[in-house]
Amino acid sequence: MSFPTSHKTVFVLDHTLTASSGVKLEMDSFSKCRSGSTSGNNGSSGPQTPNQPQVSLIPLLPITTSLWTCAVEAITEYCRIVWDIFPGTRLIRFIAVDKTIHKLSSWNGEDQNLPNLMNSFMALGPSKNIGVGKLDLMKGLRAAIEALTEPSAVQHEKRTSLTESATKVLNKGRIILVSKINTEDEIRVFKEKFHEALLHLNKVAAATDNLMAINHCDLVLLNLWPNGLACTIPRHTWPDVSTIMSCEFTNMQGGVSLAPTLCNLVLKHYDLASTTVTGIPMKEEQNASSSANYDVELFHPSAAHTAILRGIPSETAHLKTYREGADYETVTLKWCTPRSNASIELQHCSSAYRITSVDVNSRPSSCLTNFLLNGRWVMLEMPRKSGSKVISHMLACHGGDIYIHTMYTSRSILEDPPSISEGCGGRVTDYRIPDFGELLKANRLAPYPEPAPGSEGPSTPLEGSREHLSRHTKYWPITLSSTSLFTLGSNIDPLTSIMVKETITDDEVVECKQVILSLMSMEARGDPLPSPIAGQRGKGMKREDQYKAVWTELEQYLQMHLHSPAHEKVLECFMECHNKVATPEYKGDDKVDIDQALKELDDYNYMTEREKAEFNMAGGGTKHIPSDLIVPDSKRRHSAPPPLAPMGRSSGVSLLTLWENKVSSVESQPCYEFQGRSRAEGNITKLYVNLQKDKEKEDGSRKK
Amino acid sequence: MPTVVLLDVSLSMSRGVDAVSPCQEEEDTESQILRKDLAVHGCNILLDHFIQHCKLEFASLIVFSSVYKVLMPFTRDFEAIKGALNLVDECDKTCIEVGLMGAAQHILEEWGNGTPCQVVLVTDGNAGTGQHHLQKSMMSSHSRGASQFPLPFPFPAKLNIVCIANPNEPCLQTSKPLYQRLIELNGEGDILVPEGNLTKQSVSEMFEHLIKNNFSSYSGILHCGSLSAPVTLSPPPQPYCRHHDFEIMRVSVDPTITVLGFLNTGDVSSPPAFSRHLVLPLSAKGDMVMLPKADAGSDDEGTGNDEGKIPSFCVLLHGGLKRENMVALSQVGENWYGILYSWADNKKKSNLMLSLFVPGVDVIPWMGKLSNLGPASQLPVNPYGPSDTSSPFPLKVHEKKSYALNSVVWVRQGGLQSDIQKILRHARKLPDKTQSFYKELNRVRKAALAYGFSELLEGLANVLERECTLLPPISHPDAAIQLQHAYEALRSHDRKDSRQNITPLKTTFSGND
Repeated sequence: MSFPTSHKTVFVLDHTLTASSGVKLEMDSFSKCRSGSTSGNNGSSGPQTPNQPQVSLIPLLPITTSLWTCAVEAITEYCRIVWDIFPGTRLIRFIAVDKTIHKLSSWNGEDQNLPNLMNSFMALGPSKNIGVGKLDLMKGLRAAIEALTEPSAVQHEKRTSLTESATKVLNKGRIILVSKINTEDEIRVFKEKFHEALLHLNKVAAATDNLMAINHCDLVLLNLWPNGLACTIPRHTWPDVSTIMSCEFTNMQGGVSLAPTLCNLVLKHYDLASTTVTGIPMKEEQNASSSANYDVELFHPSAAHTAILRGIPSETAHLKTYREGADYETVTLKWCTPRSNASIELQHCSSAYRITSVDVNSRPSSCLTNFLLNGRWVMLEMPRKSGSKVISHMLACHGGDIYIHTMYTSRSILEDPPSISEGCGGRVTDYRIPDFGELLKANRLAPYPEPAPGSEGPSTPLEGSREHLSRHTKYWPITLSSTSLFTLGSNIDPLTSIMVKETITDDEVVECKQVILSLMSMEARGDPLPSPIAGQRGKGMKREDQYKAVWTELEQYLQMHLHSPAHEKVLECFMECHNKVATPEYKGDDKVDIDQALKELDDYNYMTEREKAEFNMAGGGTKHIPSDLIVPDSKRRHSAPPPLAPMGRSSGVSLLTLWENKVSSVESQPCYEFQGRSRAEGNITKLYVNLQKDKEKEDGSRKK
Repeated sequence: MPTVVLLDVSLSMSRGVDAVSPCQEEEDTESQILRKDLAVHGCNILLDHFIQHCKLEFASLIVFSSVYKVLMPFTRDFEAIKGALNLVDECDKTCIEVGLMGAAQHILEEWGNGTPCQVVLVTDGNAGTGQHHLQKSMMSSHSRGASQFPLPFPFPAKLNIVCIANPNEPCLQTSKPLYQRLIELNGEGDILVPEGNLTKQSVSEMFEHLIKNNFSSYSGILHCGSLSAPVTLSPPPQPYCRHHDFEIMRVSVDPTITVLGFLNTGDVSSPPAFSRHLVLPLSAKGDMVMLPKADAGSDDEGTGNDEGKIPSFCVLLHGGLKRENMVALSQVGENWYGILYSWADNKKKSNLMLSLFVPGVDVIPWMGKLSNLGPASQLPVNPYGPSDTSSPFPLKVHEKKSYALNSVVWVRQGGLQSDIQKILRHARKLPDKTQSFYKELNRVRKAALAYGFSELLEGLANVLERECTLLPPISHPDAAIQLQHAYEALRSHDRKDSRQNITPLKTTFSGND
């Protein structure tokens, strides 16, 4: 199906079809119908009386449609079906021919809709009688071939995409001539002349940059006949006129057979299929209390039937019936009373295709489509040969378009799957699921405005979202037992929601500082920390230890979220506060001294305990990074998720790290460490390292 | 992928390994091994692989000669298949067509036509006495297209033909082109022949090779920002290769699956999926762990439970998605996306599922281009609203479809009649229905002008004129005035302003409305 012929279609219309189509519309009956209704309203009070004056009226003349009107009616219906099902991907143009050629539309998207088509036909006006022999349809056909050599937007884009597939874009199309053809000779002449023109114009197109030669063209000759007369020339196809052309001759008669013939054509040209939804309960127009069942026929790409029809033919033969007057089959599926919650659940479907109703204005059709447009979903049931039933399709509207979804009807290979609780991590009970829920909401996706053409940056909004997500997960312990910081609940709000932002305002910096300060004062007051629900970690731990753990974790958290200078301010504030605690004289409270001393003492005790615990765990197979490698340690946290180090967050910080942090924070206060020395190994710093690196780089690239 | 082991049980399978050259004395013991024993040996290797690595797969055993028989229908009980392999009888001649037909039938009945499957045809490298017939039916299948020949299978399937034969056997040489043709017909598959002489060892190697190329399980890493977990997908994702309108898509699933953001389940609106896969967390050692069913009180037993107690990001992700009723939009390959969500087969057991879309960014029309989705919180106005009451999805289409447009269709019987009747219904309720009357009138008038149907305008004018004369004496004076205005306007359609709609006449009576 690549490069489908149906991508581009040109209609060439004979604008001289003034002859009557033989289709009559009785106008007099409309007035009679009034008398009928008034008599009904008058009830039993002499229905004959109001009828009497009518007898004297002169009957209204019936009106007849011209062949041209029939043609335009049929073509608009053809286009309606195509554009409903393939908006934007199947293009149709029109060329009308009388004395001159009228090009009614282009390949542009804005031309590809019904209102626009109606307007251009209105501007064109009714068919003209230009006299015998003055009509040259070949001119129209040549113009149509030229139109086909113009690339559509998609073709242009693919052709100029500079990828390897660019040269392989095939240009196929279909030209449909609508006229009255009287003899087989005319057909032969059309075919031959068309082929010549095609070859010639292909040469012309190949010589230009902006036109595309046609790889294959399907010529359809539609012979429009008046109602009542028998067509003398039978339907005929020439599948291989040449390697680049196929041809088809079809009769189309005005009157009742016009619509079915048209459906045959459109189904064949666009590979569509028909589904009849049966048993739709509808209230009667006259009697609202009773309801009857109706059928509605829909068109959609035939692929929507693949799932049920491909396979064993005898199993599905009972589904198919022929439409009256048409030579295509329709698959009958039964309406199921819709469940109200269907749309919020995820239904498993293998495909979804747009549909259109065949008789769009009929009452049952518009009832069904309005029901769907209002957001209800309808399941369709397929009766099996065995008598059982299965939901095979679903009708649903998304954003104004109605789709038919194909459901899975056979046994699923995913049946009886193990529960998530039976796999790795399934027995852990203290995942931070509510917090993760908030993370999901904070990382929800929404459509961004289309980037202006040409201004498309290298990074799409979706890539932006990936960065967003990675910022939000920089430091994210997945279980409660691996964190102290995130067990604090409202006490650290809104710090954790602010720090993950890309940029933060001054006000937000203040808010963060307030969180830190209020934690400080909580500690000073000796307020108990909210105990973690599932936390063994809080158990048996002294309050001071708990605070200590929180501070350590908070520092780590802030260190990881240095996205902007404003973020750094929060960290600075933390550092200052930390030192304030560590600097007893600042407190001005005598107790603090002792507290501090005790705390520090506890720290050591506590840490030893933790160390022990940790050591035990490490013996049990946990990856533990040697604590003297600080840099790799933090790197590990960046790349590896907490689950790999289950005891991580709180206990993963070793005594040495704590101590070094403390030392460095103390040191950082009075004067900044000389950079070189802080990075030095064994107090020896290599100078001009970059020079060496650059040189190596250069060497490396030269070697390449 | 469900797998059919299609085993040849023709008489020729009971040959010894050395059909060609009479064996040396010292290999006497080896030559007593029959080909069917080697076939069973090979099948057992395959089944053992399933037991070890693909616990959630299905396999079935079909034997064929001139008839086929389903010995084991699709099951996860691979031991049972191994048992059935030992009970295989020997029958008459090889008739591959029958065997393939049986496999196709069995798969269609069980899995329908949408599930990718594997057919492993184990035979002795001798297409058999039915060869000529097979060739003929293959030819006819090519020429007629819709014949009864089972290939290509009516479902996506790989056909691997495993030959229990010495590579240099003459009958293998004659059969091989035939096998090749079968695989070409099916589109996907391979012929496997032992390297070197036919021995238990070479057959084992051949089956190992088969497993490596066709039955290896997926192992990758699920990333969500800085969080990640090793996972496997069941069934293993298949590469996508299909023709789209303007390109041929060839893409396979990467070993990394990256979560890009989240969406409400209701907003994705049951998108069509190319395939679905269970996402199962792997242990640190890379094994898939299946803990014994959770029984109350009986934990802390067995080694498997240790894995259960090491936190996995998968479980957290599943819990979050389930709690918030959301899905995670994820990238699985170049230009290939899917959604992760919590899915429950029944009420009790829910699991993490991955639905892969068709590759491309423009695959779910109501979500727009996937690459154009970004973090909602960074938009000037969050489209979800402050209290989660609104949603930016589905994207509204720019142009309404005909069923939402009240479009004019007269090509079908009764279309025009009912449109005229509608005008008259409103005409009889003038002046109450003045607006509707003119709306319907203009709709028909516009269509008539577009269709070049000027006779209709004249005819309609006549009908309205008649209506005017038939107005009952008690009717509102405005009714007659509007009707007259309407039919006069209809008759003047060939004036310059014919594209202008007819507007209601302002009357002294209508001023009170």
